[in-house]
Amino acid sequence: MQLTRRGFFQATALAFAGSMAFELSSQSEALAVPVDAEWKLVNTEEYTNICCYCSGGCGSIVSVRDGEVINVEGDPDHPINEGCLCPKGAAMFQLRNVVDDATGEIIHNPERKTTPMVRRPGATEWEEISWEEAIEGIARKVKDTRDATFVEKEKGVTVNYTPAIGSLGGSQQNSEEEYLILKMMRSLGIVAIDNQARV
Amino acid sequence: MAEGKAILYDASRCSACKGCQVACKCWNLLPSPMEKNTQAWNGSMQCPPDLDHRTRLIITFDEADNGKKYGINWAFGRRACMHCTDAACVMACPSGCLYHDEETGMVSFDRDKCIGCKYCVSACPFDVPRHIGGNGLFDAGAKINKCTGCIDRIKNGRSPACVTTCQPGALQFGDWEEMLAVAKERVEVLKAKGFESAQVYGEEQVGGTHVLHVLKYPLEQYELPENPQVSPLIGAMNWMKPILGVGAIALVGGLGLSFLTGVGYKRPEMRYDEANHDIINVETGEVVRHIDKEAGER
Amino acid sequence: MTGHYCDFKNADVILTSGSNNLENHPVSSKWVQRALDAGATWIVVDPRFTRTAAHADIYCPIRSGTDIAFYGGMINYIIENDLWQHEYVEHYTNATFIMEDGYEFDPETGLFSGWDESTGTYDKHTWHYAIEEETEWDTSEGGSYAWVTEEGVPEFTPPKVQVAKKDPKMQDPMCVWQLMKKHYSRYTIETVCEICGMDAETLEQVYAAYAATGAPEKSGTILYALGQTQHTYGTNNTRIMTLVQLLLGNAGIAGGGLNALRGEPNVQGATDMAMLVFDFPGYLRWPNVSESPSLRAWCESQTYYGGYYTNKPKFMVSALKEWFGDNATVKNDYCYDLLPKVPANGGDYTTMGTFHLMDSGTMKGYFAWGQNPVVSDPNSAFNRRAMSKLEWLVVADWVETATAAFWRAPDMKPEDIQTEVYFLPAALIYEKSGTIANSGRWLQWRYKAADPVGEARPDYEIADMLWSKIVELYEAEGGPSAESITNVKWDYYIDGKIDPRAVSWAFNGYNVAGTDFASGKVDLLTGFPQLKADGTTSCAIWIYGGYYNNSDAPLDPAEQPVGRRGHDDPGELGLFPQWAFSWPANRRIIYNRASADANGKPWNPNRVLVEWDGKEWATRNDVPDFVFQTTNADGTTTPVPPNDNAFFMKPEQHANFISYGLADAALPEHYEPFETPMKENLLNARLNSPCVKFGDHESVKKGDVETYPIVATTYSITEHWQTGAQTRMCPALNEVAPKQFIELSPQLAEEKGIANGDDVRVFNNRGSVVLKALVTKRIVPLEVNGETIHEVGMIHHWDWTNMYSSDDNVVNDLTPNVGDPNSFIPEFKAFLVDIEKA
Repeated sequence: MQLTRRGFFQATALAFAGSMAFELSSQSEALAVPVDAEWKLVNTEEYTNICCYCSGGCGSIVSVRDGEVINVEGDPDHPINEGCLCPKGAAMFQLRNVVDDATGEIIHNPERKTTPMVRRPGATEWEEISWEEAIEGIARKVKDTRDATFVEKEKGVTVNYTPAIGSLGGSQQNSEEEYLILKMMRSLGIVAIDNQARV
Repeated sequence: MAEGKAILYDASRCSACKGCQVACKCWNLLPSPMEKNTQAWNGSMQCPPDLDHRTRLIITFDEADNGKKYGINWAFGRRACMHCTDAACVMACPSGCLYHDEETGMVSFDRDKCIGCKYCVSACPFDVPRHIGGNGLFDAGAKINKCTGCIDRIKNGRSPACVTTCQPGALQFGDWEEMLAVAKERVEVLKAKGFESAQVYGEEQVGGTHVLHVLKYPLEQYELPENPQVSPLIGAMNWMKPILGVGAIALVGGLGLSFLTGVGYKRPEMRYDEANHDIINVETGEVVRHIDKEAGER
Repeated sequence: MTGHYCDFKNADVILTSGSNNLENHPVSSKWVQRALDAGATWIVVDPRFTRTAAHADIYCPIRSGTDIAFYGGMINYIIENDLWQHEYVEHYTNATFIMEDGYEFDPETGLFSGWDESTGTYDKHTWHYAIEEETEWDTSEGGSYAWVTEEGVPEFTPPKVQVAKKDPKMQDPMCVWQLMKKHYSRYTIETVCEICGMDAETLEQVYAAYAATGAPEKSGTILYALGQTQHTYGTNNTRIMTLVQLLLGNAGIAGGGLNALRGEPNVQGATDMAMLVFDFPGYLRWPNVSESPSLRAWCESQTYYGGYYTNKPKFMVSALKEWFGDNATVKNDYCYDLLPKVPANGGDYTTMGTFHLMDSGTMKGYFAWGQNPVVSDPNSAFNRRAMSKLEWLVVADWVETATAAFWRAPDMKPEDIQTEVYFLPAALIYEKSGTIANSGRWLQWRYKAADPVGEARPDYEIADMLWSKIVELYEAEGGPSAESITNVKWDYYIDGKIDPRAVSWAFNGYNVAGTDFASGKVDLLTGFPQLKADGTTSCAIWIYGGYYNNSDAPLDPAEQPVGRRGHDDPGELGLFPQWAFSWPANRRIIYNRASADANGKPWNPNRVLVEWDGKEWATRNDVPDFVFQTTNADGTTTPVPPNDNAFFMKPEQHANFISYGLADAALPEHYEPFETPMKENLLNARLNSPCVKFGDHESVKKGDVETYPIVATTYSITEHWQTGAQTRMCPALNEVAPKQFIELSPQLAEEKGIANGDDVRVFNNRGSVVLKALVTKRIVPLEVNGETIHEVGMIHHWDWTNMYSSDDNVVNDLTPNVGDPNSFIPEFKAFLVDIEKA
């Protein structure tokens, strides 16, 4: 088996579990050095990921301690970007965590929305709701709209589509998610399916 | 001749993407403005326009005619601590906050030791140090902020954050002599390509800097002083330090400050409008000087 | 991309046109720099002098929207000066093929043969080859196509094999070569300069530098992006670059190809997955009313008579098995009828069309998954108004995008808008796992690093929750064609939880008999050659075959091809075949047969992708993208000696100069942008493409040059991304680029009394926005047909949302909602405005 960053991680996880002050992210081929206890990334686990901006497919390493993201930077073993990231990629840490300009504290990015919400007809504000409420509300609307507009046959041909619902996106999702979204939408009879390919 | 390590910035490879600026922020957990729409537009791609209390590194932009029908000489530069061998800031620092890292030669600081006297600001021939916090009569509580050379990363086997993130390889990190050799070789390549002004910056200046530059265009297109000098007075202060002690220097802080502000290289709070070649006073917005490049002015 | 990012280092000449690759695909800078260090020449053609242009050896300005004139001139230059690669063109392209009688292009009308004014479309009968003979598939036992008659395979009549008439000497006036030569003979240097606006000296310098790659051992690559595609003739822009690459022998080689630098992290995946009206996963065609109302009709209309797409029924039946599982049988046509059929007006369901459908009240509900159309799509003020007629809207995203918040746009009155809007908080990329496809077709695995913050959930969980609820409703209440929903196979669970790894099994494909997702038992296929049309194999997307094929560790992506992290680099070409997986079949450079001559000897001994040693294709640094061996009944293989079928994804297995594939042109022809400063087209009698989509819709409000004399274009900067929803949420990025601006020349600024940093109002019939002025010599007025034409450029990353950085001005309020008839892409890159000091 090729010795990989991930392989290293798995191999060293046991040592970590043995409560050694062990710095996992320094265990890759590219980054193997003795560890400094003051080191920002001491005792972090690392997970490889792929950048979420252009289509370069640059590799990144997400360092995590106690379930919280400590750092995101380029993956030095990655053959495309060799550890480098552009300004957008270099800022991926801030999608989740930012340094509060007022207090200097690291906080979850307050611009992010992490609760389902609904804006009722005519309302001027959002209303926070539960996932159950959101899913039930949407499913009901989908069914009512589909059933009221569904075309089963056109000129003798079985067509099984609805012109009344559209689905847009997403080039941000992983391929598995894209397939599930596609499968759901097409199975509902939706024709108007598009994504960022054009913008 | 410097020893230890160096960051090499090759302006001829830099795409001015500012990935280094952002990586510096994220690694060093430096804040950026969060209050809505408080950032001004300065009519340039150079953002922020200069180093500030939370910004240790910027990429500079300068537009100059190329004498051809199409295109310009668009110079991308790097402005951050130069990590001088003869570091005026270290000499001027009365508290031992600023120091040379022995292994690398990088000029770093121990934030806890900073007394906010800002002697370093006055001393620096590159106008680099900035301070976070502080206010009141003696600017109490102000703490230095400048590039540390990411010595934490270096000691743990990584390159500085800016170098690590640089996609085109404009930033490299290695032994000082090796970086100098790479820089010199690059300058030869650039000269062969017709960039006659190509030069290495930092080999000789202030004892050799631990940030070496390869400049593609003439020096005046980069925000770098032609002949950076350590004031003799700062040199004198440096050897007086063991005699006077930190406390004593801090005691005469007010006096010392006025004494020091009279010496050394002072970089006014100006910004350069790269399209119109105007030098503008940031505080007043006044155009201090217009550079008529077509008439050969610099 | 036909190649991939690392391959740029192998080029002798790099031509960036319609892309600002250092800024918008910054990783490309690494690989371009390596080519330059090895002595390559870099050409940048762009309306403005960008950070990319700052590094070019040759910079050439161009008026936005005139790329076909530019490349047409290059083709003419290459042919006139005999710089084309003869052996490549003669063997691997359709240059020798003879066209059907009646094919022509008439510059007097600006139309190709077959135009029907009443429908506004072409009858493409004459765009095909004259046929020498027709033969049948051998479906007898032991024949190449015996599978057609096997049990379980849907009944269909195989296509007739078309053998085209050819003239190997390429002298016949109706052969593709002669017709193409004549077509582009009008594209002289002088005419091109009059249209595009650069001077002849610079243009010739560019042509000479790039045409030098016609030498067999030289490689030239073209890097392009939305600057080429976002036009009313965008598909033909990409076609004409292909023509150049074929003429110079630059397709299918290391350091060559036509490289679309795509703009979104997984837009390649979204396109693979067919999140597009007309497509089916894996670049098949979604069932539609006219061609494929039944499975038999699909097989008959879609299956090619030659080349690899003779296998399409295998891909489709396997995909239907995955879609419907055990419910799909040969008796019920594998449930084909349950799928929706795209109606005849399918183009109306593409994004621009959907806003018309909302406006007319046809479309009532809408999902936006991580996309922000009220800012990213053209004529966005119209889109906002249209959206306000929706009954309901669902947005899944990380932040409250402008689409989620359209009802509180500055020009909206929330009280009057009856749309119910749901916002679903989505997990970040490192808060979930899954596959992502880059522009080079590399499939890579993302590992989840941390749980999502708050209530945020991965999109796959959101899709699963919603689908489960919908199925529950249909099972309880029924509804029209409820079986379309209740018969669907949706078993992507591991340990009772929805899991992307189970979807990966479906992508890779598996033997139906040995697989049961529920028990975690999967018999994964090694690759798509194992797919069958008889219902015994199942595969959601054939091109992903082999990417996740290790049945011994189905739960561990790190033990799958997608998770590989090897650095082997055979030939030192940056192919990295042991890193992740490149579809199809781990081929890194597609059409690689063309990297070697007719006898299989590589054009350049230092850039060997494949090589025939006289007995077999002994050197295979890349996976051959052609039939290099056949497998015998006993499992042994027999090498296939070199032949000319270098492009085996086409039925004729030769690359096309003249093509029957597009709606609007058999050979790319210059037309002006929908909104143009020109009064006439200098190359033919037709100003605009005859096939422009949506041009007559009332929302478009076409502007003319008298009222709006300035050419405008839009683009991104490296510091921000798309509508800014994702980048303006990062304070560090706002800090390095705080405002949206308009770039203009000092000459135009002086004319309009605008100083650098001023507020500038930019307006046309569709909208008016105020932006900051960036006055720069990097933009120069161009001399076009004897007149001075000014061009301005705007970035488009802001809207009224975001707690750190917002702007009520939406640049896409100005762009025209018209598009290309093939791709339905909007024309963001060239339109008309006027400006004034605000």
